Amino acid sequence: MKPLIQDPYNIILAGVGGQGNVLASRVLANMLSRQGYFLTIGETFGASQRGGSVMSHLRVSAASTWSPQIPKGKAHIIIALEPVEAIRILATYGNRQVTVLTNTRPVYPVSVIAGECNYPETDIIKKTLERLSARVWLIDATEEAMKLGNPILSNIIMIGAVGGLGLLPIQLEDFVSVIGETFPEKLLSVNQQAFEIGQNKVKK
Amino acid sequence: MSKWIENKEGMRVLLMGNEAIVRGALEAGVHVAAGYPGTPSSEIIENLSKVARERHLYVEWSTNEKISLEVAAAASFAGLRAICPMKQNGVNVASDFLLHLAGSGTRGGLVLVSCDDPGALSSANEGESRHFARMIEIPLLEPGDFQEAKDMTRWAFELSEEIKNIVMVRSVTRLSHASGSVRLGKLPEKKGTAEFRFQGPFLNPDTGPVSSMPVAYHHDLQHKKLDRVRELFEESPFNTYEGPEKPELLVITSSACTLYCREALNLLGLKDRVGLLKLGTTWPLPPKLVKSYLAKAGKILIVEEVISFLEDSVKILAAEQAAEIGIKTFYGKNDGSIPMIGELNPDLVAAGLSKIMGVPYLSMDGAYEKEAQEAAGSLAPGRELNFCPGCPHRASFWSIHKALQLDNRQGFVCGDIGCYSLGALPAGFQSVKIAHAMGSGLGLACGFGKLGDFGMDQPTIAVCGDSTFFHAVLPALVNAIHQEAATLLIILDNSGTAMTGFQPHPGLPINAVGQEAPKVDIARVCEAMGAKVVIRDPFNLEETRATINALLEQGGVKVLILRQICALSPEKKGKEDYRMQIDESRCLGDECGCNHLCTRIFRCPGLIWDKGTKKSRIDEVICVGCGVCADICPNGAIMREEPVSL
Amino acid sequence: MSDTIQGHGQAALRTRVRETKFCTACGACVNLCPYQAYYQDEVVTLHVCDLQEGRCFAFCPRTATDLDSLRARLFDPQDLTPEIGAVKDYSICRAADEKIRRQAQHGGTVSALMSLALEEGIIDTAVVAQGGDRFTHQGVAVGEAAEVRKRGKSKFIAAGTIAAFNRAAQSDSQKIGVVATPCQALALAKMRMKPFPEKDNNIDKLKLVVGLFCGWTLSWKKLIPLLKTRTNLEEIVGMDIPPGKGQVAVFTQTGAIAIPWEEIDPLVREGCRICLDTTAEFADISVGSARLPEDWETLRSWNQVIVRTKTGQDLIDLARKKGILEFREVPAEVLEELKKAALNKKRTALKTIMEKTGTPEDLIYVDRRDSVICRILG
Repeated sequence: MKPLIQDPYNIILAGVGGQGNVLASRVLANMLSRQGYFLTIGETFGASQRGGSVMSHLRVSAASTWSPQIPKGKAHIIIALEPVEAIRILATYGNRQVTVLTNTRPVYPVSVIAGECNYPETDIIKKTLERLSARVWLIDATEEAMKLGNPILSNIIMIGAVGGLGLLPIQLEDFVSVIGETFPEKLLSVNQQAFEIGQNKVKK
Repeated sequence: MSKWIENKEGMRVLLMGNEAIVRGALEAGVHVAAGYPGTPSSEIIENLSKVARERHLYVEWSTNEKISLEVAAAASFAGLRAICPMKQNGVNVASDFLLHLAGSGTRGGLVLVSCDDPGALSSANEGESRHFARMIEIPLLEPGDFQEAKDMTRWAFELSEEIKNIVMVRSVTRLSHASGSVRLGKLPEKKGTAEFRFQGPFLNPDTGPVSSMPVAYHHDLQHKKLDRVRELFEESPFNTYEGPEKPELLVITSSACTLYCREALNLLGLKDRVGLLKLGTTWPLPPKLVKSYLAKAGKILIVEEVISFLEDSVKILAAEQAAEIGIKTFYGKNDGSIPMIGELNPDLVAAGLSKIMGVPYLSMDGAYEKEAQEAAGSLAPGRELNFCPGCPHRASFWSIHKALQLDNRQGFVCGDIGCYSLGALPAGFQSVKIAHAMGSGLGLACGFGKLGDFGMDQPTIAVCGDSTFFHAVLPALVNAIHQEAATLLIILDNSGTAMTGFQPHPGLPINAVGQEAPKVDIARVCEAMGAKVVIRDPFNLEETRATINALLEQGGVKVLILRQICALSPEKKGKEDYRMQIDESRCLGDECGCNHLCTRIFRCPGLIWDKGTKKSRIDEVICVGCGVCADICPNGAIMREEPVSL
Repeated sequence: MSDTIQGHGQAALRTRVRETKFCTACGACVNLCPYQAYYQDEVVTLHVCDLQEGRCFAFCPRTATDLDSLRARLFDPQDLTPEIGAVKDYSICRAADEKIRRQAQHGGTVSALMSLALEEGIIDTAVVAQGGDRFTHQGVAVGEAAEVRKRGKSKFIAAGTIAAFNRAAQSDSQKIGVVATPCQALALAKMRMKPFPEKDNNIDKLKLVVGLFCGWTLSWKKLIPLLKTRTNLEEIVGMDIPPGKGQVAVFTQTGAIAIPWEEIDPLVREGCRICLDTTAEFADISVGSARLPEDWETLRSWNQVIVRTKTGQDLIDLARKKGILEFREVPAEVLEELKKAALNKKRTALKTIMEKTGTPEDLIYVDRRDSVICRILG
């Protein structure tokens, strides 16, 4: 078990209900858990299927179990399946050292659909994230996932990107063995493809 | 296949709190499990049902929590170990039987798991089940982490058998729905023989008949059992202390708050100055143990969620022992160090500690926080809760709303508990104007329906889901019919307990473990009671609307069943009825008198108002193709096309 | 008339017309958008529309109206009278065809004129009121003369006819004729002013407005319980007001039931009590029951007709030429009697309005500076 850059290492996975946030956080956590780290995941769901903001807090430690809620301002990496969710998370958990990975595809809140609120332009989102973090990666995960035939795979592409960054000790092999336990066999290859697409997105 | 039936003793695995409880029950050799779905408790029965065959268990989703406790108690009376999980509101439902049960005592280990929801993250209230332990006088255990969730559950069965009474284990959302690393224990051999013995002497707890009477005898016996519980709790490994021998402040806590306290002390660097007494056995408190730690410090902070339950108990003990341990200064909910309402987190505990200890705590860099919050405030629009794309409830409430507006007598909807509670929001056109407990929608409508003599001529509609119908609406329907209350009950039948994850209920031809089961036909039940019953497809908007208007004008009790399967149900998910298109030549956009009806009012997430073209557009990632929006566009611009079959 | 607070959209319509009970259920605000509907004698709001300006408000006969401009736009100035609007011609007549008269309320003039307009291609669609389930009424668009004749009876209850016109105007119909009560004719006149030129409501398709004399309509929700105390709703075949008797006659399959006016008066729609117009002044041609010094049975088969515009004149001339209508001589005092009665109605309505607003300066939907109002109030 390799020592972590920080212990506990705090990951936030954010998105909108229905994007597969819970599954993605489980996959990521299991990849780390099988290496012997203590994992704690705190999840908000319940209203998750109904268009609300959802987030999972992942805490990785070589030593012990931590609170399922990350303290304010203490995130190390934020993985957003939806771009404005990244901004929302920074307001509570961000800091100048944080790394942000975000999918670029918006899921419009009802208030935006209804014309009551505006949704920011991509370049404004990008500039804001850059201002509020140390590193930002914008990944067109949904578009890539649709090419693979299912937009839900965007969350696996994002997990792949986390792997590609090298901040956490997770490799393609870990992913393959975890999803082998999670998904039926016929879905393995497409998931593996998605993971690799994500890895490559941050290597360029 | 299932991870908790592999006997991986000694292995550390990542388990959700509810999964840890499941593993604990399995390690205890549980035989019977019965419950009713409710967030955050549902995964316990769900996961037990998955291993029912391999572990030779009987698992059921009961009609409601009282019945589930009765089912579990029967197993205990027959000598088996049984578990009965529920959310906090369920304890209220079960409490009538629970009071009798605590008097009669139990035989095989019987554990009631209550999953509370501090902060009401997925509830209509912040109910507190710990009071039931004190009120009904049964032992209460509160796991402080994921490992304890498993270990305490296992031990709870032993404790129950030792004192021959039910034991309550209380979890919270942040344990039940969070995940952590758990070292597994041994799974016992599968065995269990059931026999209810009643031919022994009347008061023999193992062989006599089972009853809470004579009350004086049993109540006294129950108190003797509690004395034994106190003794056991004095020695319990679930009560731990970490910190200096002479702390400046003693923090007493339990449950998930343990993790928050530990983290807060870490954040503030106070581990050498503040002691942390973590209690796993919170009622009855072990007096000697608590006294010994109270004696260590002059200042005591009690950290807990919802009600000042632990705080009150500790203060009573401190008052009783003041002569020996001296006068203490208490901090907690009552002095405002810890918030009275809502769930806690490390920051809230740190804020309280920082004030008491005079140690500054700045969670975020001030300038950064200001900048980040301004960005979120201006750029991240809020996400109001909504019905899913393709949800039958949106269609149902569209018609209900329209019918009530046309009816024009200030009619309103009495809501109930389920996804359709969102009928109170713009998602449901704000149709629901009153909502309380399960089954209360129709109960309230019965009451309103009898106020005609007092000049009330507003029609009432009660809505409930199919699962809720069985849980608590049935008695209200009997009442409505017998009292001749003028009301319309609309059963939003989406073929499952959708909100909690599609658990089966008595209206479905399947049971908790996936076997075929007799289905109780809602329509026939209502008809047999004497209600007029109509069944409609809510996706047929105009027919549904006309039916509701017609029923509203009839006297007596009417039942309208709006039947359409949930868009997220395993049967439906991913299947499109239609491929939706906007005919751009027909959508008049900003020029239309519709004022964005499809996006501003109908509010389906699958529709977008395109600011560029100034017209409506289908979001092909979100739309599930239910086709309902085609019927609301006044200009017929939203087109249904038959889906391309694969 | 304060027009600033909630703009000129649905919110203003709701607070100033509907909640004040000034609404006449004419239907002008219905079917322009998905937000209003006409149902069982009421116009209701289905959802909130937040537009600040809307046709719903602009067309409503109970929102601020510049009557002088309407008169100038629609009529020859020399025809205008202060009591009953423009009068090009006045006559007493009835349908020549006795079958039409039997299906009609009185002389069948309206049915005959609308049938003629359809048959001659002056219009291709006639919008009329029809009775529905449990004595409710609604507007309907028909294309055949026979369909018009079937719907000839007076309704005494609002029918939201203009809602049907709005729908017909968006359909393939090109030439539409409407049988309208005074408030409905006023709404159509307001549409003809085209306050929203880019969304002109296809108003140019409106080719003919045949107005009906009207004193009031009754609230359906209040009338039904009263009727139920006297007879089965299914047995009712018609209603009428015999002159000078202070009662309403309800005709059933077995005979007539008289209901004293004291019982009927509370059922009158509040919005009708502030109406200034008895004779549908903004129609092309207006038709009412004849008021002659003769017995009721004779009177019942005759109408009095005011021709107001060239369109109306052309139609009645054609009817005369084709022998569709038969005419009788008009006693000299009849028109003066009508004017007197109409003026009385205006005076009563103005009094009611001023009681409601508490000031002669605020007359709700009419302008204090209007020429007719000035002549009445001085």
